[in-house]
Amino acid sequence: MIRKVLIANRGEIALRVARACRELGLGCVVVHSTADRDPAAARLADDVVQIGPAPGRHSYMSIPAVIEAARTTGADAVHPGYGFLSEDPYFAEICVENGLTFVGPPPVVMAELGDKSRARELMSAAGVPVLGGSDGAVEGPDEATAVAARIGLPVILKAVAGGGGRGMRVVRDLRDIPHAVRETRAHARAVFTDPRVYVERFVQNARHIEIQVMCDDQGNAVHLGERDCSVQRRQQKLLEESPAYRLPRALAEEIGTCAVRGVRSLGFRGAGTVEFLVEPDGTYSFLEVNSRIQVEHPVTEMVTGIDLVREQLLVASGWPLSFTQDDVRPRGCAIECRVNAEDPARGFVPTPGLVDEFTIPGGPFTRVDTHFAAGDVVGPHYDSLLAKVVVWAPDREAAIARMARALGEFRVRGPYLETTRAFLGRILDHPDFRAGRHTTAMVDQLIAAGEPAAAGPGPGVGNAC
Amino acid sequence: MSTGADRAVPAPRPVDAQAPDADSRVEAVCASALRMAATGGLTRLSIRHGEVSVELEWPQPQSAAPSAQAAPASELPACAAPGTTVVVSPMVGTFHRAPEPGAPPFVAEGDRVRGGQQVGIVEAMKLMNPVEADRAGRVVSIEVTDGDSVEYDQPLLVLAFDDTEPK
Repeated sequence: MIRKVLIANRGEIALRVARACRELGLGCVVVHSTADRDPAAARLADDVVQIGPAPGRHSYMSIPAVIEAARTTGADAVHPGYGFLSEDPYFAEICVENGLTFVGPPPVVMAELGDKSRARELMSAAGVPVLGGSDGAVEGPDEATAVAARIGLPVILKAVAGGGGRGMRVVRDLRDIPHAVRETRAHARAVFTDPRVYVERFVQNARHIEIQVMCDDQGNAVHLGERDCSVQRRQQKLLEESPAYRLPRALAEEIGTCAVRGVRSLGFRGAGTVEFLVEPDGTYSFLEVNSRIQVEHPVTEMVTGIDLVREQLLVASGWPLSFTQDDVRPRGCAIECRVNAEDPARGFVPTPGLVDEFTIPGGPFTRVDTHFAAGDVVGPHYDSLLAKVVVWAPDREAAIARMARALGEFRVRGPYLETTRAFLGRILDHPDFRAGRHTTAMVDQLIAAGEPAAAGPGPGVGNAC
Repeated sequence: MSTGADRAVPAPRPVDAQAPDADSRVEAVCASALRMAATGGLTRLSIRHGEVSVELEWPQPQSAAPSAQAAPASELPACAAPGTTVVVSPMVGTFHRAPEPGAPPFVAEGDRVRGGQQVGIVEAMKLMNPVEADRAGRVVSIEVTDGDSVEYDQPLLVLAFDDTEPK
């Protein structure tokens, strides 16, 4: 059994993991940059180490700093959270070489899943349906054009090393392909140091449905139902719910079984998410696997009653899963809203600065995952997530009402601070969301239709989670 | 390295002055910042030096961390006195005072050092990273012992400026 876990992350997820460690009686080490002095998670930690300056690549993504911090504090495991080093197979391998248990899949599996086009091949080989597209990366504009002509427009160009909505571009006209391929390759080379791109059919009116899976070293692989993450702005999730409303139960079960078959074939271990697009006719296609805990994991915890982070730590220690597929009996409906320090009226630009009032909602079946308190500062260096507000209710209508109540209760103010709180409230009220007709295009359509203005950074460049 | 229950007040980056007039300006700002800091309970001190900017931060009353308030003033070593500078650790690792076990230390209290002179080693991932004095001065105190685990930006030693020697 692991004894002391170093949490190689920050913010709410560092606090979430620290809480799981405390509840399991494990020691924990919290690391932070100079921009995150006195983080909330430190109050639960046995040791706190300042590992570097504000920029993430010199602190939370500095492998030597993290490994040294683990060594000097006697940690024997590393939990990477999400983002930062969480899907870096090289980091996972170095942890193992230094005698540290990496809380995640084996490094070779991470490497295969990190190559999004390779993941597509492997899942397809395991019998998981994938979207029409290129066989692996395309050689250049000519091949991309040929693939697009074969599968039909629009298509989406994706960086092999991308994922999580990053490094992708939609093309609607064959003549635009050469230019788009060059741009996407240049962007991918700059951001991921890997210029390879692949082509897939672009599905416009689909729902983003993802399956939570958990696997152990004994060969057990279980799915914990789905999350509907269709409410996105430019591939960044704003609201997630489970179960997916009006998705036929038989279809949801089929997708879940399919996801388990896919990850089992890879030798996956720990918590993962298999993402799918589901079209109105029920056609479902694999998108990618995230080999880490997700931001929206609480949604699944609320409906299943299973503590995913605890389970991650136990599985990493070599224990079998504490539940079987039959034990997973999702109940009721859970919704999560991500309240970000962003201004919807100005294209969702981040609004860093002081938070002088921060009163989170409470009440029945209401969970708020946040590391913020009044007096804290939203820094410019990291993502703009202020809090995840999660509610549970026996049915969806009650969950929506509960979420609207909770968001209304949330008091967060600061001199320059704008948040997505009110915008999320409008989504809850939207007839398409209420009726379960929402697709991944809903938020962008809402913005285009005269809701808050839609200026902002280029497409597909954003947070990985 | 500090613990969750007993957290030291973080040390600021050393004031790395290049021009003499910037020197005196930074020192004057430092001195007045110190007078403000003396009111106690300071949680953050950040000093920038092009165009000199000092930020002091006290805890909000409702979120005040008792340990931060209890930190004695002596735990503010950088700028601890006008005319001194603090050499901080460039990374997480293990501090070594000497080039090898049993060898004499790089420097001892009272020694004069040149700008750029090696004053210690921080070992990280089995690599020996030299730590150098950023300017000439006299070693006032060594804040860590040989073999200590150190974190990023942790004060290692305090130097008194020595303006009679070239920087």
